Amino acid sequence: MKLSSPVSVVGTGCICACGNTPQQSFANALTGQSYFALPTQRVESTYTAKYPVFLVPPSDYADKPASLTHSQFFMLQAAKQAFLQAGISPQQLDASRVGVIVGASVHPSFHCFFSYKHWKNHSFTAQDTQEIKKYLATPLAQWLSAQFGFTGPFQTVVTACASGTDAIGMAKNWIDTGLCDVVLCGGTDEVSESPYDGFIRLLVSTPEKCRPFCKTRNGINLGEGAAALLLANKKTVQKFSLSCQGYVLGYGNACDGFHPTAPDPQAVGLQKALSFALQEAGLTSQDIAFVNAHGTASQANDSAESVAFHAQLPGVPVWGSKSVTGHTLGAAGAVEAVLTLQALNNRLVPATAGFTEPDEQLNLIPTTKPLPITKKFAVSDSLAFGGCNAAVVLGACDAF
Amino acid sequence: MPFDLFINGQSCLTGDAPVEDFAPFLDVRKLRRAQAVSKNALLCACKALAQAQLTPQAQTDMGISLALGAGALESTLKFIDTIVEDGDELSSPTAFASSVHNSTALMLSMFLHIHGPCIVTGQFDSSFAAALLSAQQFLQKNMCEQVLVVISEDINPLVEQCVQQDAHVFDPFIYQPQSAFQRVAGAFVISAKPTEKTSHILRQVSLSRTDDISTQSQPQFPVSSCAHSVLLFEERLKTNSPFVWREQFAGSILEITGEPYVFS
Repeated sequence: MKLSSPVSVVGTGCICACGNTPQQSFANALTGQSYFALPTQRVESTYTAKYPVFLVPPSDYADKPASLTHSQFFMLQAAKQAFLQAGISPQQLDASRVGVIVGASVHPSFHCFFSYKHWKNHSFTAQDTQEIKKYLATPLAQWLSAQFGFTGPFQTVVTACASGTDAIGMAKNWIDTGLCDVVLCGGTDEVSESPYDGFIRLLVSTPEKCRPFCKTRNGINLGEGAAALLLANKKTVQKFSLSCQGYVLGYGNACDGFHPTAPDPQAVGLQKALSFALQEAGLTSQDIAFVNAHGTASQANDSAESVAFHAQLPGVPVWGSKSVTGHTLGAAGAVEAVLTLQALNNRLVPATAGFTEPDEQLNLIPTTKPLPITKKFAVSDSLAFGGCNAAVVLGACDAF
Repeated sequence: MPFDLFINGQSCLTGDAPVEDFAPFLDVRKLRRAQAVSKNALLCACKALAQAQLTPQAQTDMGISLALGAGALESTLKFIDTIVEDGDELSSPTAFASSVHNSTALMLSMFLHIHGPCIVTGQFDSSFAAALLSAQQFLQKNMCEQVLVVISEDINPLVEQCVQQDAHVFDPFIYQPQSAFQRVAGAFVISAKPTEKTSHILRQVSLSRTDDISTQSQPQFPVSSCAHSVLLFEERLKTNSPFVWREQFAGSILEITGEPYVFS
C-alpha cells in the first residue's frame, strides 16, 4: 500500500430512519431522533409484533413508483441529492468517464419472495413472471447508471454489511487509477422478509433499541436507507468549479476467513484494513478525530471492534451511529460515511444513543454527549458476514 | 491508463464439483455443509492455484475478487423454503447465514488461507468483467501481489421451470437453454508481473453500459448470466492466439484484449 492523493467528495445524499437529507440525518443524529417502528406494513412475519426496526418514514417514499424496489428508490433519491449538492447536472459530464458503484445486499439477492412463495404454492401467475423479469433486468449499479445516462463502468458490490464502505473505497481506486473522472458511489438496502427473519433466527436481533458498546447491549436493530457520494478527480473539480464536501483519503480491505457470521475475536482482518487505510491516507491515529464504528451492538461485533480500535486507533473517540439509523446492511458503510463527513464539517460528533453503562471487557466508552472536535480526519469501518472487513479514511471539506 | 494482467493459473467447471476431485487439496469432510456454488468455486480455485504452483497454505499476499451472477441461490431458496414450509419461527438460521454472497468468499478465504483484500460482485452477466476490473484495481493500487478471480453461478429452479415452459419468457436476460441449466464455475490466478507459470497476458479489460439491452452474441452454452462469459473467456484462452473479445450482454459491453504470454 502506498500513499495516494485525496479524492474530492463533491456531493452527498442520504435517506434513512433519521432523515431524508445528509443535513437532516445529522441534525437528528445529534438529538437521537429517528423512526423506529414495527414493520407490519412491509414484512409478513409473526415476529413483526415484537421486533421493531429503523425504517425510512413512509412519507419519504409516498411517491415511490410501484415498478421500483425500496432499495432502488432510496438509492435514486440519495444520488439525486448528491448531484444537487454538487451543483452539477449529470448531463454536463462525459458519460463514458462516469462510473457507478453501489453496495447492497437485498436487491442483488433473489428478492422475489412472494413470487417464489406463489410458485411453491402452485399459485404462480403472469404477474409473478413479470416480477422475476424485473429482478433480472435491474442489476443495481447498471440500473442506476442508466437513470443518469452514464456509460462508464459499473459494479454492484455485495460484500454484505461491508458493501457500502467497499463501494466508496473502490470508487476512490477508480479515480486514483484513472479509470474514471467521476464516480457515483454508495449503498442502499431495505427491510425485507429474509434479513428480518434471518437476523432474529440467528438470535442477534433485539426487540429494544440497540445500545452499541454498552455493557447491557443485547443485539442489533435492522434499518434501511441509502447514501450516495459523488467523487471527482481534480480535473473535473476544477473544470466545473465544484464545491468540496470532503475527501476520501484511504481505503483498506482484508478478509478474516474465520466464521460465517462472527468476526475474528482478535480482529486481525479489521486491523489490517484500518492499517492499510491509514497508510494510504498518510495519517496516523493521532490525526484522527473520531471513528464511526460498525457498532452493531452485538456482543461479538463490538468486542472484536474494540480490540481493533485499541490496537490501531488508541485513544480515538468512538461514535456508534447505528443506534439512530439501525443496521442498514449494504447501505451501512455509505450512510455512516455521509454522517461522518457531516460530523467532520460541523466539528461535532454526536453522542452514541442508547449507551448507558461501560463494559469493562471492552475498555471502550463511546461518545456519551456531543463531542466538539478540532482534527479534520475520521475513520469509518464495516464488518460483514463471511469475514469481510473494510475501512475508509475521510477528510473534512477544509482539510486541505 | 494501460495496466497489464498476467494469468498464472486457470480452471473452469461445468456441472457440480466431484467430491473425489478435492482429495489432493483438502479434507473433503470439511465441505459437508457447503453449498454447491461454494464447492464449485473452491475446487476451481484449488486447481488454478495448483497450476500457478501456489499451495493452499502459502497465500500471504493474495486478494479475492469473486463474481456471482445471482448470488447463493441454493441457500437463499432453502431459507425461503423454511419460512414458507415451516413458518418464520422455524426458519433456518444456517441457511440464512449461507445465503449472503460473502459465504462463498468465506470458503475461499478460510480453506485457502487468503487474508488479503476481498470484493464480491453480483450483477448477472457483467459480474465477471467487474470482477476482473476489481482484480486489476487491487493490483494497480498495490493492495496485494496476486488476485484469485473466481466466478461461480448457481441455478434458479423457478427461473429454469419458467424457461422450460416458454424458452423466451425472460429474453434477453436468460438465454434459451439447449439443455437443462447447469452450474458453472471458474478461477484465474492473476498478477501484475509475470511468473514462471504465466500463460496469458491481458492488455485491456473494460466494462461499459449501453442503453441497448439486446444480447448481440449468440449463446453458445446452455447456461445463463456470468457463467456464459466465463466459458466464452475460457474458449478465447484455449485458442492460444491473440484475441480481441467484445461481447454485448443485456445493457453492458465487455471488452478484453489478450494474448498468450511468451517468455523472453
